[in-house]
Amino acid sequence: MTDQPMPHIRPGPRLRSAAPGKSLQALLRRLPIETYVIAFTVMLWVALALTTPNFLTEGNISNLMRQTPVAAIVAIGVMCTIVIAGIDLSVGSVVAFCGVVFAQMCGHGLGLAPAALLTLAAGAGVGLVNAAAIARLGIPPFIVTLAGLQVYRGLALLLSGGMTIGGLPAEVKEFARGTTGLPNLFWAMLAVGVAVHYLLRFTRTGRYMYAMGSNAEAARRQGINTPRITLIAYVLSSGLAALAGILLVSRLSIASPSMANAYELQAIAAAVVGGASLFGGRGTVLGTVVGAILFTTMSNAAVLLGIDPFWEMVLEGLLIALVVYLDNLQKRRQAGS
Amino acid sequence: MMRKSLLAASAAIFALAGVTPASAEDTVAVIVKATTSEYWQWVFKGAEEAGRQLGVKVGKLGTPKDDAAGQIAVLENAAGSKPAAIVISPTIFEALGDPIAAVTDAGIPVIVIDSGAKTDKYASFLTTNNEAGGKAAAEAMATCIKERTGKAAGKVGYLTAMAGHESLDSRDRGFVEGLKAYPDMTLVGNRVANNEEAEGMTLTADMLTKDPDLVGLFADNAQMGTGAGASVAEQKLGAKFCLVAFDSDAGELEHLKDGSIYALIVQDPYMMGFAGVWYGYAAAHGVRLPRNVDTGVGTVTKATMNDPALAGLLDVSKRKLGPFVAN
Repeated sequence: MTDQPMPHIRPGPRLRSAAPGKSLQALLRRLPIETYVIAFTVMLWVALALTTPNFLTEGNISNLMRQTPVAAIVAIGVMCTIVIAGIDLSVGSVVAFCGVVFAQMCGHGLGLAPAALLTLAAGAGVGLVNAAAIARLGIPPFIVTLAGLQVYRGLALLLSGGMTIGGLPAEVKEFARGTTGLPNLFWAMLAVGVAVHYLLRFTRTGRYMYAMGSNAEAARRQGINTPRITLIAYVLSSGLAALAGILLVSRLSIASPSMANAYELQAIAAAVVGGASLFGGRGTVLGTVVGAILFTTMSNAAVLLGIDPFWEMVLEGLLIALVVYLDNLQKRRQAGS
Repeated sequence: MMRKSLLAASAAIFALAGVTPASAEDTVAVIVKATTSEYWQWVFKGAEEAGRQLGVKVGKLGTPKDDAAGQIAVLENAAGSKPAAIVISPTIFEALGDPIAAVTDAGIPVIVIDSGAKTDKYASFLTTNNEAGGKAAAEAMATCIKERTGKAAGKVGYLTAMAGHESLDSRDRGFVEGLKAYPDMTLVGNRVANNEEAEGMTLTADMLTKDPDLVGLFADNAQMGTGAGASVAEQKLGAKFCLVAFDSDAGELEHLKDGSIYALIVQDPYMMGFAGVWYGYAAAHGVRLPRNVDTGVGTVTKATMNDPALAGLLDVSKRKLGPFVAN
């Protein structure tokens, strides 16, 4: 967006740049939308703990800790492309494609570690192609990754012959089922989250990503190598989708070419609910993870409370609309004050 | 002697119908719902075998995913190339009715397989009785619960892969209907997924959280069966829980073997493709066919999965045709 006055150099700069609050109201108005989403999620958890006997049980919390990570890892990657004012619609297909690649390599007797590394490399390769098409050929990210959505789903189907791949070595499933204090999947999500958070918050690359997302032209004039930043964002997105593919195969103990259907939309929803702006320049790991946790909690709650599955879809959609509306409202108020 | 008279009979049929036996150039077009699904690949395998036996070319057609408009275009294009017959599984009942009638009117026999279409202008309809399949699932679940607890009683639920699909609705209806024979089994829940394994897995875990005393679950297609099986395996409930699932794919088979799935209700997609091509060929040569043919379901448990009659239903590569009285 070229009409934004100033590139945000850091996430949530409004908090820092604004004058000290005079009243609670002023403070509330300046809190980033993530804070409200976190508060809402906590309230939902408290309400569920009070109203259903089975929510706050060890089993259910452990379920939630296994159900969130795959979606959250995909969403963190997509958030990186959203921050630079891009988008990655190909991630769902990349999850399936990389999952199939991983399962086939494991099935052919390649060790777990080499198979995982090669799969991650394949994912990074996808990001490289996306970034090249966007930065070098100047094709809009929406179009490039929409094409990718078709291409990688097609490749997943071709590689698997349209069939579910089973018969994987036992170690493949052990990772997702296992726990090291907390479920292994949850640790994987934490590791990814901390690493990407560090990149965005504490490195020059991270600052450049926000700058580029706020105003690409200004960033270029300041001497930021925008093709390089584009490359980093899309390689992160596809690479994390590849990791999610490996984890999903571990969780399901099979690979199916039809898996991870519409994960790109779930990921965008989690990032946006977590405060990312599709116009670029805004988005945090914490917000995105909370967004993913919120959606997992809502689907968990729908089952526990016996809410009609169709109403659940309606409610999730309304939540996305409401959060974006509140975010815009807050921004407009700030602009006016 | 026998063979001679058979030959004479077929010659007579061909003569009566006023057509000549198919030449090597004859094609039967097989149009499925979604070329990307394992189920439809099995239909193609059966169709290819029939094509090999008959010496006709089999065109394997369809859209990658369920897409009614796309399927109509494929049907019209296939009809344009004047095949001997068309075998089709309509994606949407209403949408494919008129296009199928138009093909029949153009003089090409149409064999409908798996799911119906809103027309009576077709040569024959080969399908699974899905409601009977759902009932078989309820029976298998009752057997399992009785085996493990001594009495067919307790809370059960079911998992629907997608909303608004006729064949899935029929399975669910059959399951709910079948439960009525067991008054001590109470239905406590139904969830609908997005036809995605991971979602089936999540919903199963959540249903078990809501009702920790749930004793049985019916998953109404392969994606749900695989997802539910993964959840049961993760929680190591196999020996206590009675999961019954429709269809069979690699994931479901794995869970049947590891005990997470008690029984699979399997259809016969191979036979739909195989018989579909034979029927299409026969109709093209003037044979009057039965209007409706039930291709049947089988209930497979870990104990029976290696029976020769059932093994071919689980793994198309083990499929042996005949003797004609069995599968």
